[in-house]
Amino acid sequence: MSATEPQPQSAGEGIPDSRFPGPYPVGSYAAQLKRRLGEFTRVQLVGEVWGCRTSRARVYFELRDANGALPCSMWRNEFDQLGVTLVDGLRLVVGGGCDYYPGSASSSPSFSFDVAELRIAGEGDLLVQLERLRRRLAADGLFEPQKLLGRPALPRTIGVVTGERGKARDDVLAGLRRRGWAGRLVWAFAPVQDRHAAPRIAAALRELAAIEEVEVVIVARGGGSLADLFAFCDEALCRTVALLRVPVISSVGHHTDRTLIDDVAAVACSTPTHAAEAAVPIDIGAAQRATLTHARGLQRHASRAVLQRARELAQLSRAPAEHVARHRRRLHQLLREMRASARRSSVGGRELAGVHLRVLGRSAARALSSDAARRRTELERFAFALAAHDPERTLARGYALIQDRAGEPLTSAAAARDAHELSIRFRDDRVAARVREDDGPPV
Amino acid sequence: MTEAPAPTYETAVARVEEIIRRLDSGEAGLRETLELVKEGRELVEYCAGELEAVSRGLEELRLEELVARLEGGDSGAGE
Repeated sequence: MSATEPQPQSAGEGIPDSRFPGPYPVGSYAAQLKRRLGEFTRVQLVGEVWGCRTSRARVYFELRDANGALPCSMWRNEFDQLGVTLVDGLRLVVGGGCDYYPGSASSSPSFSFDVAELRIAGEGDLLVQLERLRRRLAADGLFEPQKLLGRPALPRTIGVVTGERGKARDDVLAGLRRRGWAGRLVWAFAPVQDRHAAPRIAAALRELAAIEEVEVVIVARGGGSLADLFAFCDEALCRTVALLRVPVISSVGHHTDRTLIDDVAAVACSTPTHAAEAAVPIDIGAAQRATLTHARGLQRHASRAVLQRARELAQLSRAPAEHVARHRRRLHQLLREMRASARRSSVGGRELAGVHLRVLGRSAARALSSDAARRRTELERFAFALAAHDPERTLARGYALIQDRAGEPLTSAAAARDAHELSIRFRDDRVAARVREDDGPPV
Repeated sequence: MTEAPAPTYETAVARVEEIIRRLDSGEAGLRETLELVKEGRELVEYCAGELEAVSRGLEELRLEELVARLEGGDSGAGE
């Protein structure tokens, strides 16, 4: 404060022998500061917007370039009238002046550049640089090597690079707990924001990768503006990650953010919890249950294979013996029946046999007598039929039978001429006859 | 023999599942069944060992502690 300005009133009880005037009540000093800052020339500024956020009455953001930054704020209603959306990296021209809110006993003071006018000038340089670097890394083939690394399903040792006091640390532990993983976890704490972060993160990654037991590394950081996450877009860091021997699983910022380390890492996850789950792809409890099931399955197959075949073999080996035994049982049965039969014959069987014999005799006699009568009737019927065909009966009716000298019947004139000597048989006697030559057939 | 060393947990699990499928098919004869069961048991033991190794309890170490332990010749890191 210059001597020409109104001086705040001293409250007394100053520091003895101090070279500074006062002490003054801080509120009056803050009010003077507000007035002085308000006297600054109102100007236009150009830079890139980062971390835009809104409250009920005001819109807040930072305007940055390579050499510095300024907190800015604008009345919400004026901002809404512009109809623009501010995304990180957007190049802006703002018009306004310095403003200082002196605060009070119950509220904090704040400084901001009070924006009265705003114009979007185009894509920010930082985003352009980022995209240029992304293309260069891709052209160098650095997006591929990590993705070609094999990731163990069951790592025994996991390395984690994160901020020591960040929430990401708890999220990683929660993800590992969810998997049921309880192996060795190696923390490599590093700053995850500001210009010192990238080299420290790269160094931590190199050290973790140098330890043979470390099988996979998680790089985790919670949400923030892209400016906050810019450390994870560092070219040297990205090249380090790309060429590490261990797979790196990244989880930087929110799921909407895409840093360059996400591009070069083996896997990019939306949250540290997901990164931890990606580091241990299987659920340990489920895997243990599955292993037990497999063990039981193998045991069952082993038992079944051996016992079933043993049972079959035993059955086969018993088969001949059972066959013989079955026949032996039948023979024994027959023998018992024969003996029983023999006993019955020798003891009371004789009388019974006599009765049986008599009964059989009578039955046979009945059968024979009825059989003889039937046969007699049949014979009479046959005799009657034969008599009907008897030649003697024909002779008796007046016919004669011509025979040759040997007694063979001659049944044609030609046979009679050939025979020449004939015998004619009548009912009562025979007459010899001779065929005359002039009795031949008419020519 | 189809027996081969199990280089990783996932290949071991894949082989065990293949063995179980073959046994479940009922097409394997006695000799093959016994060989598959033997191979499967070895793989299951390997898998169980791997699971046991990451179930003993979470051990948290700072990188500096692990490096110091390794530089001090303590083989605890490798177990």
